Amino acid sequence: MKKIKITINGMHCASCASNVEKSLKKVPGVKNANVSLMLKKGTAECEDSVSEDEIKKAVVRTGYKISNIEKE
Amino acid sequence: MNHEHGKHDEPAEDEEIKIWKKKLIFSWLFTIPIAIFMFSGRLFGIEILPESWMVPILLVLGFPVLFIFGWDTIKSGMRGLFTFYFNMDSLIALGTIVAYLTGFLSFTGIVDDYSGVSAMIMAFFTTGKYVEAVARGRASQEIKKLLELGAKKARILKNNQEIEIDISEVKVNDILIIKPGEKIPTDGIIVKGESSVDESMVTGESIPRDKIKGDNVIGATINQDGILYVKATKIGKDTFLAHIIKLVEETQSEKIPIQKLADKITSIFVPIILVVALLTFFAWLIFSNDLSRSISIGIAVLVIACPCALGLATPTALMVGSGMGAKRGILIKKGEAIQTMKEIKIIVLDKTGTITKGKPEVAEVYPKEKEKNLFEIAASLEKNSEHPIAKAIVLYAESIGLKKYKEVKNFKILRGRGIEGKIRGKSIVIGNRTLMNERKISLKKFEETIKNFENFGYTTMVISENKIILGAIAVADALKEDSVEAIKKLKEAGLRPIMITGDNEATAKAIGEKVGIYEILANVLPEEKANKVKELQEQEKKMVAFVGDGINDAPALKQSNVGIALGTGTDIAIESGDLVLAKGSLNGVVQAINLSKATFKKIKQNLFWAFAYNTIAIPLAIAGVLHPVVAEIAMALSSITVVANANLLRRKKID
Repeated sequence: MKKIKITINGMHCASCASNVEKSLKKVPGVKNANVSLMLKKGTAECEDSVSEDEIKKAVVRTGYKISNIEKE
Repeated sequence: MNHEHGKHDEPAEDEEIKIWKKKLIFSWLFTIPIAIFMFSGRLFGIEILPESWMVPILLVLGFPVLFIFGWDTIKSGMRGLFTFYFNMDSLIALGTIVAYLTGFLSFTGIVDDYSGVSAMIMAFFTTGKYVEAVARGRASQEIKKLLELGAKKARILKNNQEIEIDISEVKVNDILIIKPGEKIPTDGIIVKGESSVDESMVTGESIPRDKIKGDNVIGATINQDGILYVKATKIGKDTFLAHIIKLVEETQSEKIPIQKLADKITSIFVPIILVVALLTFFAWLIFSNDLSRSISIGIAVLVIACPCALGLATPTALMVGSGMGAKRGILIKKGEAIQTMKEIKIIVLDKTGTITKGKPEVAEVYPKEKEKNLFEIAASLEKNSEHPIAKAIVLYAESIGLKKYKEVKNFKILRGRGIEGKIRGKSIVIGNRTLMNERKISLKKFEETIKNFENFGYTTMVISENKIILGAIAVADALKEDSVEAIKKLKEAGLRPIMITGDNEATAKAIGEKVGIYEILANVLPEEKANKVKELQEQEKKMVAFVGDGINDAPALKQSNVGIALGTGTDIAIESGDLVLAKGSLNGVVQAINLSKATFKKIKQNLFWAFAYNTIAIPLAIAGVLHPVVAEIAMALSSITVVANANLLRRKKID
């Protein structure tokens, strides 16, 4: 298990954050995802096999951009 | 100050405010004429424009409002509609585009023109978003301050030369030089110099702390009056400040149970509203046979629904609450704790280090007249020991002005009982009752005094010279200055305080008496504390909070429903508590409880308003009593209200 932290650009409403969260949770291997509209940040708890690229794609798919991604 | 840094850390919030502001100004620039044209005719019967010019002009003026200044919203909304990741924008985009298109359709005569309305909806939406962004920025101001707290530059000593470097270049073991008034760049230990340091930004403690060689300092705190040479011990992600920031951010993105329903609704809200709007449109079309009216009502339903109010209710209040806490050295580590807090009935407090200072001090001396002689002997011996009691005695000796110590020979530590040694050939034994009995030293003359000391909960050290007793020193772990007051406040708040300690019954009772706690769990070994908490939870069937320093009572903090860890500065076990207090006072516990309750109340209030708004407003829109523009204004106001209400939390007194 690992945690991937992301900073998301372009979210401006609660349903935006909820969309990103949903999309992240759909990525195979992601156990849990939390996105904060207030901080424009999110975390995804996922299996080690999940790549940063997959996480990125999940965010972009919903129409937002990732400005920073880091593993913890 | 320095440009490289100012830029990359520009808070996203400010950027957002700027963008919305620009959009807002330009939108209204075009929308105000639209409003004048529309209402002058309708309300005052004045015709500025010939009837046939009206619609084309509205379409021209409305175009930039929607498709230039509102383009981001339209784009994001449309993408949402096509990718099935619906959002707030989807509602606005659909509502405004349909309204705009009626302008073209109106040329055919089948429908009235609502193109002006589309611009007004967008303008009000933009205005609402701007105000909301400002309010959200305000909600996070304390946290933002925390993020910006860190020093940007450091001055280090290299080859005996002072050089200024970027904070990111500082390495562990570098020697930092901090002049009066400067920020301490990173966590470290003082190797030279002394000063007082203002640690209020991280601990909430307003009085600067005196620091000397060997003391730890926290990065981002401010050096007051002396020059300090500090060896860096932690840098970057490992610093105390970085830990706090990480914590606050984690709390913020964590979900509180009460929020779950709101989140669930938010996530399915938009598609439901889309369906409802469509149904409303068809229902009105069938029953009224009035296409214009049906379109207008459908638009009103689309734009009145406000998932934002629901989604913002909890995070904004939590943001303000955790900001207020951070300012006072209170960290809400687990958001859930603020919800649990209101159910707490019993609060178990660890004695040592929580109610008391955790450091023994000399409390009484007998006989007081011979204090100096007594300590001259006692301190000379105790100086050789590292025991906390020995340290307390030496410290006291220094405080009454003793500087020279006598030479001690044959020094020996008698574990758990005392010490012995020879001064000028005389045999000195210092220790407890057991030791005196062991050495057959008669306590007769002092019996009453010693009993008295013991009844007070003091640890008593008897001093004897050649088997004759000279006097006794009572050592006690003193109460923290604000413990009595804090316990009183806890009781006033309806909590049942219980003290837990490894001390014997008598000592524990004496301390309890002093601080005002009458329920005591004495003789509890550290590893049994968690079990005791569990017993209380099971027997009393009540929620139990535990307050401790988190060092040897981490399991108890975990077992309790709300674990409150308190420490001083960096000596703090951040991991173990749900609430973490950076300043070690019990009053902080009272504040933390008040803050939790106030924040939770605010969250409930916000959720109530958000739910109430949507359950009242949406049916009204369906019923056709609200004009689309009025609906949009109501929507904007509802999310602004929620954020503004969260900001009102700051007015709450929690001290």
